[in-house]
Formats: sequence, structure tokens, C-alpha cells
Amino acid sequence: MAMKFSPRELLAKHQREPIIEVSGLKACYGDTVVLDGVDLNIRRGETMVILGGSGSGKSTLLRHIEGLERPAGGSVRICGIDLAKATYQQLFALRRMMGVSFQSAAMFNSMTVGENVALPLLEHTDLAESTINLMTRMKLQQVGLSGVEDLYPMQLSGGMRKRASLARALAMDPEILLFDEPSAGLDPVIAAGLDELILRLKSAFRITIIVVTHALSSAFRIADRMCMLYEGKMLAVGTVDEIRSHPHPRIHQFINRIPSQPEASSHHYITGF
Amino acid sequence: MPLLDAVGHYSVRQAEYLGALAIQLWRCLRFTIRAHPFGRRRLRWKRVVGQMAEIGVHSLPVLCLVSGATGLIMALQGGAELRKFGAMDAVINLVGTSMTRELGPLIAAIVVIGRSGSAMSAEVATMAVTEELDALRAMALDPVDFVLVPKYLAMLVMLPCLTVMAVFSGILAGGVFTYYSLDLTLIQYFLRTGDILLMRDIISGLVKAGIFATVIVHVSCLEGFLVRGGPVSVGRATTNAVVKSIFLVVLADLISTAFFYFYWR
Repeated sequence: MAMKFSPRELLAKHQREPIIEVSGLKACYGDTVVLDGVDLNIRRGETMVILGGSGSGKSTLLRHIEGLERPAGGSVRICGIDLAKATYQQLFALRRMMGVSFQSAAMFNSMTVGENVALPLLEHTDLAESTINLMTRMKLQQVGLSGVEDLYPMQLSGGMRKRASLARALAMDPEILLFDEPSAGLDPVIAAGLDELILRLKSAFRITIIVVTHALSSAFRIADRMCMLYEGKMLAVGTVDEIRSHPHPRIHQFINRIPSQPEASSHHYITGF
Repeated sequence: MPLLDAVGHYSVRQAEYLGALAIQLWRCLRFTIRAHPFGRRRLRWKRVVGQMAEIGVHSLPVLCLVSGATGLIMALQGGAELRKFGAMDAVINLVGTSMTRELGPLIAAIVVIGRSGSAMSAEVATMAVTEELDALRAMALDPVDFVLVPKYLAMLVMLPCLTVMAVFSGILAGGVFTYYSLDLTLIQYFLRTGDILLMRDIISGLVKAGIFATVIVHVSCLEGFLVRGGPVSVGRATTNAVVKSIFLVVLADLISTAFFYFYWR
């Protein structure tokens, strides 16, 4: 297709809600079904938190929204475009307006932190080198990392890498920000700082933010709406208060941090024989 | 029929692999054409130059040693036989033509597979394991464009250059032999080699080098791209890349040699 797609044009054309529609999404790894008929609509400008225990398919759902996996069934639509049927140009135009911060940070280890953050700007814009350098420093400052431009990712701590990857995700001023486990491996102060940053981004730029997490305190703080995945199924979607008072036993258990089995005491082992 | 089953599965897997190679090659060529140095893809060229140094300059010493030793071995072995017929002169033909047509490109390819092919597949496989390839895709950058094209361009330039150096050092080593056994000066030796060699020999050697470059880069990177799972698979990908590259390079050598034998005499 010869036509050029600009992300902003796509967005302007698609004023209708919701910006992201996931319907009946199925995903399998080999024979294991990871997602089984997930429905989720995300409105423009809202912060959606995807909750769920380990192995509930949260990250897989996120990978499908990023268009990194092909669904085994159902569809993911962003701005009305079905990712599985999108042309190469459409898919890449959509990705240019999404910023992704991976769970493992996924910084390019062969480049410095500064080069990592500058990479999308260098590749997708015609900005002058000096402008790009300035923007790189700004983005790093935004996430509380100043003066690390010339270090390599391996020289940073896990938490710093995570924040650097957020800076990289923000480099192109994305319309949609996807965030996999922002606070995993961060100390509470830095995690709170990240929450602040997400709240600031939300109020200042009206960007759509999707956060996958199992950190409840931060989830309740930043979310407009939340949804809960359990064993590949969407249990509930709703506002923070709706989720908080949801009657479903699994959600109740998750929110109130109740262990699923009574803890085994040494007494059980001894009398068990 | 377990045997038939196994044969069928194996054939399907190999056909899939060849298909993947073909698709990757096609996409790579499309990106390569667009990657000219005047566009906005400034970074690509920095990477190409870096790769060139890595592939070319750094493997030059070992390549010259290996190729020189091979040239000398050829001269010694050939000389031992040819002496029986009183045709020691023919050592010059033997070393000159076999180095230019066959051994130069092949030795260069094998040294480069060992040094750079394995490194490439390990690099790409590590990127796959640490989600760096996914991060590229998520940034709207195609891994084929960003990772493979610079390596391909660098290899396409450097392997023919290395081949020339390999041929030269092989022939030079043959000259050392003739200096002592035939009392030819090096200048006389090179002049006679020049008389023997045809343009066809040189061109076919360089064409082979280009084909080998394509095979090495694409097989090595594809092995990396296909990696799923943890660090163990990085090692496996590297092994596979080296084994498959050597096999396919020799196969490509056979096919191109047959082609030149039948269609360009």
C-alpha cells in the first residue's frame, strides 16, 4: 500500500469511543489456553489497571494489545483497526503512538541509556541532534534519572532500568501508554514516585494508560477503572469502588489479600502420617 | 508407520525453515534498498561501519594465517606428487587457480562463520530472550530492518574483501614454496600466476563470496530470531547457526561451482 499512515490522523479519524476494544480474545501457548474469551473496552484518556495473580494472563493480554502476538481467536481493535488484519503500515503507525514499558525493562544492552531513549526519536522524526539530546535529558529527568545518559543499562540497578524504559516509552509522547508491572522490584518511595508520574501524565496530556500490576495500593491510586483477570477469564470490569466492593469471591480474596488455603502448620505434617 | 511419520515431520520442518529463510531474505532486501546513507536512517550507517570493523578488520590476522597455511600445504602436497612427473611448474597453476576459485572464498567464509556468524546468532538470540526484539517491534521498528540489514550490508562488503586477502595470502605462501624449490623470484611467480588466472576465476570467486555472505548472515540471524525461552536456547541457537551455515555454505559452493562449470567456460 503506497498510502502513508500518520498516527495522529488515525487518531483524529477515530474520535469514537472506545480507543481499544478487546473482544472474545483467545490465546494459547502450545496446548495451554492462557486467555479464554476476554472482553475489554478502554476509553480514551482513562487509566485502566489490569489486576490478576501470577499466571492469570495479564502480560499476555498486554502483548496482544501491543500487537506482538496473533490471537488464536477473537480480536483486538485499536482506533477501530483490527490488529490481526492490519497492514504493515497501519500496525506500525499504531505502534508509533503507543509507548510500551516492558516487565523486564528490555533496554538495548549494546547502547547507552541516552541512546536507548533517543532511539525512537532518531528513527521516527527528523529532529536535529541537539533537539533530540535535549528531549532525551528531559524525559530521563521526568522519571528521576539525571546524568545517566552515558551509562550502559547493565550499569544501572533494576529499578533505574525500569524507569529508563519508561523514559524511552515516553520519548515519542505516546497517546497510549502500556505499562507492565511498573512497581515490581522498586522500593516503595520510587514506586510512589512512579504513581505520581502516571497521575501527572494523565492530567496533563490526557493519554490513555494501561497498567498491568498486582500491587494493590498503587492500582487503587492511579486507576480510573480496573479489571480483574483470573485463569484467563475476565472476572469483572468496573470503577475502583465497584471492584473494591465486588461480590465475586476471587476478587474479594485478591483485594483483601486472603491466602487461598489455610496455611499448613508443622502439626499437619506430623499428624498426617 | 512411525518411520514415515518421522520422515514427513522432518521434511515439513526443513521446508518451513527454507521458507522462513526466503521470507527473511526478501524482507531484508526490501529494507536494504531503502537504507541509503542520505536518508534519515543515520544510525544504520554507524552500525554498518561498526559491524564492518567487527567482521572484517578483526578477523584479518587469523584469516591470513589460515589461508597462508592452506596455500603452503597445497604447494607442498602438490609438489610432492608433481615432482614425480617433472612438472613442478604446475604447482603455480594448482595454487593459483584453486585458491582463487575455491579455497579463498571457502576459507574466508568458514573463518567468518566461526568468528562473526556465531557472534551474530548469539547477539540476536540474546535480544530475543531479553525481550529487546519485542521492544523494537513495540517502538515500530522492524527487527529485520534494524538488526539484520546493518549486518547484511557489512557482510556483503567485507566478505569479498576478506576473500581477496585470503586468496592473496594463499598465493603468497605458494610463492614462498616456489622460491625455494623452483628458484623463482616472487615477482616472477606473481607474473606467472597472473598469466594463468582468468577474469572468470576471479569473478567466480567474488560471486561465491557474495553468496556465502548472504547465507551466513541470514542463517545466523534466523537462528537467533527463532529463539524462544531461556539462556539455554541461546547456546543451542549458536551451535545451530554454525552447523547450518557451514553446511549451507558448502552446498551453495557446490551449486555455484557446478553452475560456473557448465555455463561459463
